[in-house]
Amino acid sequence: MTALAVARPTLGAWRSELWVPVGAVVVALLGGLALVAAAGVSLPAAVAAFADGAWGSAYAVGASLNRAVALGFVGLGFIVAHRANLTNVGGEGQIAMGGIVSTALCLYGGAASLPGPLAWIVPLVAAAIAGGVWGSIAGVLKVRIGTNEVISTLLLSFIGVWALYGCVQSTRLLRQPMTDSATLPESLEVPAATQVPQIAPSLDMPLHAGAIVLVLLAALVAVVLARSLFGLRLRAVGLNPAAARRAGMPIGATVVVAMFIAGAFAGLAGGFMLQGEQLALKARFPSGYGIDGLVVGLLARGTVKGVLASALLFGFLRSGGIAMELSAGVPSAIVLVIQGLVILLLAGSAWWLHRRKRA
Amino acid sequence: MDHSAVALWGLFIGSSLRLAMPMLFAALGELVSERAGVLNLSLEGMMLMGAFAGAMGSLWTGQPLLGLALAIVAVLPIAALQAWLSVRLHANQIVSGIGINILVLGATTFAYRELVGLRSRVQIPGLATWTPPGLEGVPVVGAALQQSWLLYLAFAIAVAIAVLLRRTAVGLAIHAAGAEPAALDKSGGSVTRVRIGAVLFAGVMSALGGAFLSLGDIHTFTEGMTNGAGYLALVGVIFGNWKTGRTVLACVFFGAATALQFQLPALGIEVPTALLIMLPYVMALLAVAGLVGRQSPPAALTEPYLQPGR
Amino acid sequence: MPEAAARETLLAIDGVGKRFGDLAALDGVSLEIAAGEIHGLLGENGAGKSTLCNIVFGVHRADAGAMRLGGAPYRPGGPADALAAGVAMVHQHFSLVGDLSVVDNLLLGQARGFLRRSEFAAEVARLSETFGLALRPQAIVQELSVGERQRVEIVKCLMRRPRLLVLDEPTAVLLPDEIDGLLRVCERVAASGCGIVLVTHKLAEIRRTAHRVTVLRHGRVVARSDAPADEIDRLVRAMIQRDLAGAAPALRAAVGSDLRTNGAAAAAPKDAGAAGVEPPGEVVLRVEGLGLRDADGVPLLEGVAFTVRRGEIVGIAGVEGNGQSELVAVLSGATAATAGGFRVDDAPMSDHAPKTLTAAGVGVVPEDRHREGSVPAMSLALNLALSTLQRFRRWGLVDRAALAGEARDRMRAFDIRAAGPDVPFASLSGGNQQKAVLARELSLPGLRLLVAAQPTRGLDVGAVEAIYAQIRAAADRGVAVLLASSELDELLAVADRLLVMYRGRVMGECAASQESRPRIGAWMAGHAA
Repeated sequence: MTALAVARPTLGAWRSELWVPVGAVVVALLGGLALVAAAGVSLPAAVAAFADGAWGSAYAVGASLNRAVALGFVGLGFIVAHRANLTNVGGEGQIAMGGIVSTALCLYGGAASLPGPLAWIVPLVAAAIAGGVWGSIAGVLKVRIGTNEVISTLLLSFIGVWALYGCVQSTRLLRQPMTDSATLPESLEVPAATQVPQIAPSLDMPLHAGAIVLVLLAALVAVVLARSLFGLRLRAVGLNPAAARRAGMPIGATVVVAMFIAGAFAGLAGGFMLQGEQLALKARFPSGYGIDGLVVGLLARGTVKGVLASALLFGFLRSGGIAMELSAGVPSAIVLVIQGLVILLLAGSAWWLHRRKRA
Repeated sequence: MDHSAVALWGLFIGSSLRLAMPMLFAALGELVSERAGVLNLSLEGMMLMGAFAGAMGSLWTGQPLLGLALAIVAVLPIAALQAWLSVRLHANQIVSGIGINILVLGATTFAYRELVGLRSRVQIPGLATWTPPGLEGVPVVGAALQQSWLLYLAFAIAVAIAVLLRRTAVGLAIHAAGAEPAALDKSGGSVTRVRIGAVLFAGVMSALGGAFLSLGDIHTFTEGMTNGAGYLALVGVIFGNWKTGRTVLACVFFGAATALQFQLPALGIEVPTALLIMLPYVMALLAVAGLVGRQSPPAALTEPYLQPGR
Repeated sequence: MPEAAARETLLAIDGVGKRFGDLAALDGVSLEIAAGEIHGLLGENGAGKSTLCNIVFGVHRADAGAMRLGGAPYRPGGPADALAAGVAMVHQHFSLVGDLSVVDNLLLGQARGFLRRSEFAAEVARLSETFGLALRPQAIVQELSVGERQRVEIVKCLMRRPRLLVLDEPTAVLLPDEIDGLLRVCERVAASGCGIVLVTHKLAEIRRTAHRVTVLRHGRVVARSDAPADEIDRLVRAMIQRDLAGAAPALRAAVGSDLRTNGAAAAAPKDAGAAGVEPPGEVVLRVEGLGLRDADGVPLLEGVAFTVRRGEIVGIAGVEGNGQSELVAVLSGATAATAGGFRVDDAPMSDHAPKTLTAAGVGVVPEDRHREGSVPAMSLALNLALSTLQRFRRWGLVDRAALAGEARDRMRAFDIRAAGPDVPFASLSGGNQQKAVLARELSLPGLRLLVAAQPTRGLDVGAVEAIYAQIRAAADRGVAVLLASSELDELLAVADRLLVMYRGRVMGECAASQESRPRIGAWMAGHAA
């Protein structure tokens, strides 16, 4: 499969590397604004609502950052797998798996009775493992049968999301006990001990410790990708599996591990989303973070800095979009339109960049 | 068999065919496109646009046929975009497909709310059904075959495609574009034209498939109503090993899996909804996991043909 | 040799130039092709011959200069234009659709509407007959031998009744007998009034059939001749800027100058190693009854058995496609044999991963340096250490400084020319890339066996010389060498012993000397001599 032409930024090409994603986002945003106007909503009102929801208060900033953290995790996982030319499209399902496992452990698995930080760390780790296993299924299929990982992760994603739906529908599984027919299909709230602690509770910011974990993991991923033997192997396997094999590199293991990592990061995102933000498992739990995370990964063009920057952008975008809908009556579908435009503009521009490099 | 069992069987087969329809149209179009070397992950988006435009067209004019026409007209630009991105700009075919799906979901949701209003389920004039003459009263078969005439069109198209691929010059060019594009190029053919044409064809077929959803099946439009049918169509082509006959069977099979969602409860068998909805995807996963025999995709599938620079 | 009678000019190329980025592939090239003549385009690998042909056929556009075909300006925008103008080309790398039949491949691009296969088959048979090109119309292309596939390509061109036919290195993939056949076909086609451009780097063919010759070097025309058979020495000197007399036999072989018909020159002594060369020692590689079948059960290798000893160079001769690639794949651990096996230093090695083989001292130079031999997008330093990167591991990270240091050592020792160890591998010339791949394999600690497949393909004469010098030096040090090449002359000059493969079997074994040529030729054609 041909990967998106990820050109490693050399010093001279740095500027054009930056122009393209930034340009894509700007054009897409303008398109979104045009639609807002077409919806008959007053632009100033919409923009005001957006700004307020995105960064208008400490609370808003905290919420936006939390969202950015979740996206950042998914994006990190994506670029690790992408280094080996593997495209993980199954973020939604992996997040779902993480959510399921985390909820199960927090509510019924005794995590609440673990000492101190373990109460929230253990379910997070379990969520990561769950997502990782889900992702590695695609890796194994690719290695043993040659199945295209895009198709397999996509199908697994559907299965995972519907499995989540099934879990919150049944009181025998994760659904809260039904007191009457109007009881919503969701789980109980996870005990306080298992909730991820907030960084600055006094500031009325809901920002949770996931942000710190993200920064640490981002640094780790950056080092691994650039300087470690594993990172080189990922690159070799992605660029030329035949030569990597001849050179004695364990291709199969590398592919499976890469997909495991991609899924694990997404599962971890799910864990943080559950234990840090939403606190109860609901039917539409992944709510598009998997897809957004994919976009973040693509926008990042293979760099960790890119992931962090894009995650921030999309985190704030999401918050603003929700506020626009609630306060100004702007359909949230516009955010989808903006995302679609960004992806398409990037996809088309890869060619242009590639041409310039060849000339 | 007693009457109720017969009726149930007829219903089941009829449902399977009906539910398989949208996938079948899209899969037939995608079959041609993939044989020419282009993978369209954007089937989902194209179908959704077809459903939307078909519904809107029928709503505005009161004529479902005009709705169909509008569906095709609305999807062609999207297919053209996908074609341009994949074939001329050599963009990653997976990325552009996903982008289109997201864009169309957002655009159709937005447009529907603007044009029709929030959460309303408007009834739309739908397509008529048709049964092959003489079979009306026949048990099982009669009920099963009382379908929108689009279904029969789909089967006719399937036959036409099979003949085209095997016996015509165009079919040969399509085969070459997907297996060894350099051969087509050096023989004086145009890989670009063949691939663009194939993608446009996939677009038209997806439009018909999507329009069937809103016009032939449910007679309304709901946001995101394709709900994964486009992806299942893709898998149908893989399941069918890129051959027309097998692809048709694969789609009917998925239709049957979906039909079970409604059939099992009707039989009094209690299965969690989630499991039933999941079933087609699980089958699809088993298919791509190679449990249905070896896969032999066209050799140059998803590879942009980089003509040695002119 | 037919006399060069006065012929009208068919294609006039005037001052054509072409650049690829910084590289000037062609510069001010002018020549004329006459109708009914066989015009030889001579030059070593990298001289620009293929680029010129691609411009004539419309695959590339010239950056400078102009062409005239039959007096009218000729500027094809693509193969379709060229074909419409009556120009056809048989490429070096065939463009046939493997899973279609011969007839379908011939129909491609020519048919309209419904395919009338049986009518067409009759037309094909007629053409075959006229030009002496045996074909099986219903056969599937991927089952055909390389020679047969080439015939399909040629018939495909002839069906269009071209005015000008360009053949790009057509004999590279043919058996000695088939080469004769091809040259005769060329003569017949030319006699029918078509102009032929024969691109080659082999002198023997020029001497035999070319009416006129143009020599390219580094993208420029450096010599012409109207009577090439008489002026071979001048042409050679122009082609490679060296005199053949006194040159290493491998080099002479690379330009195909050891002619079969010239017995005296043919008896030239092989590269004698330096004094103190060890005579072939104990057996390093023992292949026993090796068999390989593909997924459909088709035998790719059958009952292959031979040995290679320390210090010996064993050559595997045979036209490509007769199992050499598969044999190398098995020996490098890429494929597992389905029958039999092989031993390295008496340890069974079949069905082991490449890593184990490398550890056992097996170095492999694969036939496609871009596919299995290197990761072109990564740096030269990384490629030079690709199979042993773990040596540079410090706390999980790779020690870049040490890596670069070792790369520089190798660059010096093997004369690899590049701007530095961190440049992308793809930026090196073909010859330097191959030197790098060879350097990596020859530097393996504890190297016992070197397997090299088509090591000099596409390389210029200087690189060819360097590669063989390194291989010879390795053999002198005691490494066992197995060399698979479709360049028979080069093998005869470099190897001690030869094996000939045909359709996956070893047909015979003999000393690598010119006297064995007739037997080798027979074996290559599948006759048990």
